[in-house]
Parts: sequence; C-alpha cells; structure tokens
Amino acid sequence: MSGGIGIWVAAILTLAIFSFLYKDNPFFKFAEHLLVGVSAGYYLVQYFFSAAYKKLVVPVFVNHDYVLVVGGILGIMMFTRLNRKTEWISRYPVAFYVAAWAGYVIPSYVQVRILQQAESTIFNPAAVSLKEAVSLFVLLIGVVTTLIYFYFSAEHKGALKGISKVGITFLMIGFGATFGYNVMGRISLLIGRFQFLFADWLKLIR
Amino acid sequence: MLIQFFTPNPLFLNIYNVFLDWKQVVLGFTYILGTWSLIRYHTRKIQRKQENWQYSYVALTGLVMTVGAAAIWKTATGPYPWLFDYVQVPMQSTMFSLLAFFVASASYRAFRARTLHATLLLVAGCIVMLGRVPIGSYIAGDIFGVHISLVEISDWILNVPNLAAKRGIMIGVGLGMTATAIKIVLGIEQTYLGKTD
Amino acid sequence: MAFYDRMMSIDRRIIFLSIGLAVALPVIWPLGIPVQVSEESRSFYREIEKLKEGDVILLSIDYEGDVMAEVDPMSVAVMKHAFSKNLKVVALTTYAGGTGIAERILNEAARNYGKTYGEDYAFLGYNPDWSGTILRLGESFRATYPTDQHGRVTGEIPLMKRVETYRDISLIVSISGSGLSEYWAIWAGGRYGVKVISGNTAIQAILIYPYYQAHQILGFLGGLKGAAEYEVLIKQPALATKGMDAQSAAHGLMVVFIIVGNVGFFLARRAHRRARAQGENA
Repeated sequence: MSGGIGIWVAAILTLAIFSFLYKDNPFFKFAEHLLVGVSAGYYLVQYFFSAAYKKLVVPVFVNHDYVLVVGGILGIMMFTRLNRKTEWISRYPVAFYVAAWAGYVIPSYVQVRILQQAESTIFNPAAVSLKEAVSLFVLLIGVVTTLIYFYFSAEHKGALKGISKVGITFLMIGFGATFGYNVMGRISLLIGRFQFLFADWLKLIR
Repeated sequence: MLIQFFTPNPLFLNIYNVFLDWKQVVLGFTYILGTWSLIRYHTRKIQRKQENWQYSYVALTGLVMTVGAAAIWKTATGPYPWLFDYVQVPMQSTMFSLLAFFVASASYRAFRARTLHATLLLVAGCIVMLGRVPIGSYIAGDIFGVHISLVEISDWILNVPNLAAKRGIMIGVGLGMTATAIKIVLGIEQTYLGKTD
Repeated sequence: MAFYDRMMSIDRRIIFLSIGLAVALPVIWPLGIPVQVSEESRSFYREIEKLKEGDVILLSIDYEGDVMAEVDPMSVAVMKHAFSKNLKVVALTTYAGGTGIAERILNEAARNYGKTYGEDYAFLGYNPDWSGTILRLGESFRATYPTDQHGRVTGEIPLMKRVETYRDISLIVSISGSGLSEYWAIWAGGRYGVKVISGNTAIQAILIYPYYQAHQILGFLGGLKGAAEYEVLIKQPALATKGMDAQSAAHGLMVVFIIVGNVGFFLARRAHRRARAQGENA
C-alpha cells in the first residue's frame, strides 16, 4: 500500500461516506459537514474571482467599460435580502435577471424545442427504406399521442381517452428506458470509486 | 432581449450584450449571497445548540480553511487545489455513488409488474439495462429465421418509443416555458418576486 | 414466512453487499468482454476526426466531482483525440467546481502531447450564468471572459487573438453532468449555427436522443459506456473500458433481483387469490 498523503486522506473520507450504508454515524456526519464547508469555500472563491474580479474589476478598471458598474450595483443590491426592512430592494435585480432570461428564452425555445423538433418528426416515406419508414411512423404516432395525453383542457373520454392510452404506453416505455439509463449512471459512479480505491489507494490493479 | 433575435440593428445588439454582462454579474453576487446564507445557518445552529450543532464547527472550519488557503497561497498551487482534489472531489463522488446501492434496493422492492403499463416499463428498463452493456451483445438468437439481438431491440427502444416520449415531453415543456416566459415579460407572472396573488 | 414472501423481502444489506461485490470483483479481475460501439458514439468520433490540423474546438467541461467517474474519461479522451490531431482547444466551464477538474485534464494532456498553453490551448475558466455565457460568446469571447482562469487578459493570449466569436470555432464539445449540452445546442447551435457534439451522463443522455435525431446535436456519448466506446474508437482504452465488465455484472445482478422480486410477487398473488377463493367456497 502506498500513495501520497492526499490519496490516504481521500480514501479515508471515501470510506467514511460509504459507512452510511451500514447506518448514520459520527464519521459520516463529520465527512458530510467537511464536504459542505470545503465546497462552499471553493465555490465562494470561484464566484468572487469570476463575478467580482473578472466581470467587474478588470472590465471597469482595465478596459474602462464603465457601463458594467450598473451590473455591479445590481449585484450589490442582492445583498439587501439579508435584512427584512431592505429586502424589497433586491426585487429589482431579480426582476431584471428573470425578465432578461425570459426575453431570450421565447425565440430560442420556440425555434429549437418546438419547431425544429416537430419538423424532425415529419418524414417523407418515399425517401427512406421500409424499415426506417415503419420506425419513423411509430415515432410520429408516439409524439402525437404523447402530446395529446398532456392536453388536460378537455376531459379524457371517448376517442381522446383511447389516444391518451396509446400515449401513456409510449411514456411508460420511455420511462423504462430512463430507468435503465438511471441505473447505468449510478453504477458507473460506484465503479469510479472502486477504481480509485483499488487502483490509486491499494494499488491492487494497474 | 426578444427583439434583437429578429433584427440586426446594432442598438438592440449592444443593449443585448450589456444586459447579458449585467446578468452574469448579478448571478455571481447571488451565489456569493447564497454562501453567506450557509454561514448564517451554521452560525445560528451553533448559537442555538440545535441537534448536531458540533458538526457546524466542522463545516465552518472547512470553509474558512479553503478561503484562507486561496487568499494566502492563491488558487493555482498549494492547499487550495489540494483540498479540491483530495477532499472535495472524492467525497462528492462517493456521496453520489451511494445511490447505486439505494437504486438497486429500491428497484428490487418497488418494481412490480402490477399492471400492463408497469410491466411495459419494467421490460423496457431491463432490455435497456442489458442491451447497453457489453454482455448484451451475447444475448441474441434466431426467431422464425430472423436474427434478433438484445442490442438491436434496445437501440430500437431508445431511438423510437423512447425518443417519441421524450420529444412529446420536450415539446410540451417548450410550450409551457414559452407561455411562462411571455407571462413574465407581460408582467402577468410575478411569483418570482415573492408575490402569490 | 412462505418462500415467495422471502423472495420479496431480501434484506437490503444483502443487496448492498451483492452490488458491491458485483462491481468490485470485475474491477479487480476484469473479464475482457469486448465493447460494441453505437452509432451515436461513432458520430461523435467522426465530427472530431474530420477536423483539420489547426482547427479550433471549444471544449466545455460542464461537470463537477459528483459525476466525474462517468464523464471524466470522455474529457480525457477528447483531449487525447484533439491533441493527436493537432487541433487547438479553447476550454471553459460553466460549473464553479469544474475549474479544478478542467485544469487537471488540460495540463495532463498538454504534458503528454508536448502542447503549450496560450499557443495550443487556453482555459478561460468559469463564468456565472451559463445561459448568458453561451449567448455572449456568440458576440465576443473577450467580453465574456476578459481574463482567462489565471488572470491573464484574454486578448493577449496568442490563441485567443484568432478566436473572437463562434465563427472562429469549428466545433463545440460539451461534456456535461447536467442538461447543459441541450442549452449549447439551443443557443450556440440554434442561434449561431455552430456544430455541437456532447458527452453526457447516462441520466442526461436519454434526453439527448431527440436532439440527435433532429441533427441539433451531431453525436453524443452516453455515460461510462459511451466513454468506453469512444476510447475504443480512438484506440486508447482506459478507465471507462476497464469499468465495462463491472457495469455488465452489476446490471445482470440488478435484473436478477428484479426478476426474483417479481416472481415472488406473482406467486404470492396467486397464493392469496387461491386462499381467498377457498375461503369464499367454505
């Protein structure tokens, strides 16, 4: 067994987190709170460096881009949330941020998430092979019935109910695929930790 | 922000660029505010001696240690990157890897083929789970003279019914988000300001 | 307790131990099952492979330590592929915790391939507000990142003198632990027409299929399996490929547990129905 002190610290903390599988215990709680503190400190440094220094100090004092001072004022206004009497002031930067976001979301989402997606669902059966045509037809049925399922402005009865049931079928298959990928993702994370423990720490594998 | 998508007019483009810059500064300060809230939470926990208050000292010490390391030794070398590489990342990775165990246990206990739809979900999930790993390529055979493999079935499920469901959800979400954004721009939606009526 | 009830109530510690062994044993003693490559991964590989020497790619490392095990091999493989083709790399991250990860990957690749910071690659660092960052880059890289991660003025970096907007970028590669890849496709691809490929965690990859089919994302890697497929394609098997045996074993065991639970469920249901029928007849 060898490795720098850092590897040993990482391995011990890893095992402390894994101890939660048995039950909650002081080692796990210690590691958990240490993670919270160190992460918060790391992020604070990054946020300060990126927001205050890179986006404010350098542009204003080096590039003389004084219009960014307004952004700095809006940012500082966010700190008024810390006091109940002044927190109403923070609504202005929040309103600016949300409204600006909403402004560019509208055309982007309509173009990419609605129109282009709908366009890709439509196909020319004469331009593809029979096997592809069948799959694309099933895809078309799936998209339409799924959308109809999510239409709740009318009661699902009669033909609407039947079509919705087809939509639910596609949704269930989709959720099953999602579950399969979900499991794959979680297992992969565990593989990564075991690779660290057995390769980097215990040197059992190369 | 909306108009400049449709016109090359430099005035709107300049306003768009300035607003994007301001947005980034506002969000950066908001994140800093979030960290301050965390400090306040743990400080109050210690003052009020709430359950597990002793561990709040650990959290605050970790925070001070990391910020202090960056302030004294800077961020390129020294304790700051060391804390990231050997304390933060291993613990973050391990926290999320615990989910592998819990998802296995939860799947075993909760996944029951009670109805047709639950069965479809279950079968699709199992096919994708096996079809997307290397052993899936060994699960194949001939049915009525047609060669079928689990990998091909899994690929078809992912590229057709799964795609259809995800696209339907995506279009629905896109419509919903667009409607919400329009309501925000028109001032109809104000819940983000804390107003509930 | 009847045996079918036992089938439905295996102690969770046994499940935890079984999953742990199913992952640990193949990690220590690999089985060597060959990895099959999917079309999505092939498309990802092709988009980088067809670039010419000197072309600039924008690599966005959009993840932190929590999902590192899944997507880090993708970033490492992308750097190997890019530097082996002498592509130029402009890297950035939209996650505060991604800065340390990106530095490690870039510096290691630069060491292995003899590349120079500022000439062959640059790391612009982290910016808050990912949506604003993606859009702002379309108008000006220097305004979005006035300095790089090390505090050096962006305009003074030799590589950045020829990269000002997306027009100077041949391809965007987003390696993401969340839905960021979608937003690169929506804003960088949708508004500015840049080609986008992505590497995603398995949980996110399932959502990328609609974008791939619509050619909004031209290729993607899904989870650790996708990373392994890409390593096979660049002929440099590494961590992801080594993890595939454990992935196979764990998935197989999961399916066995689910089948056992459901067999117990059906047997229990049949037994209860029979008992109820007998009770009604009595």
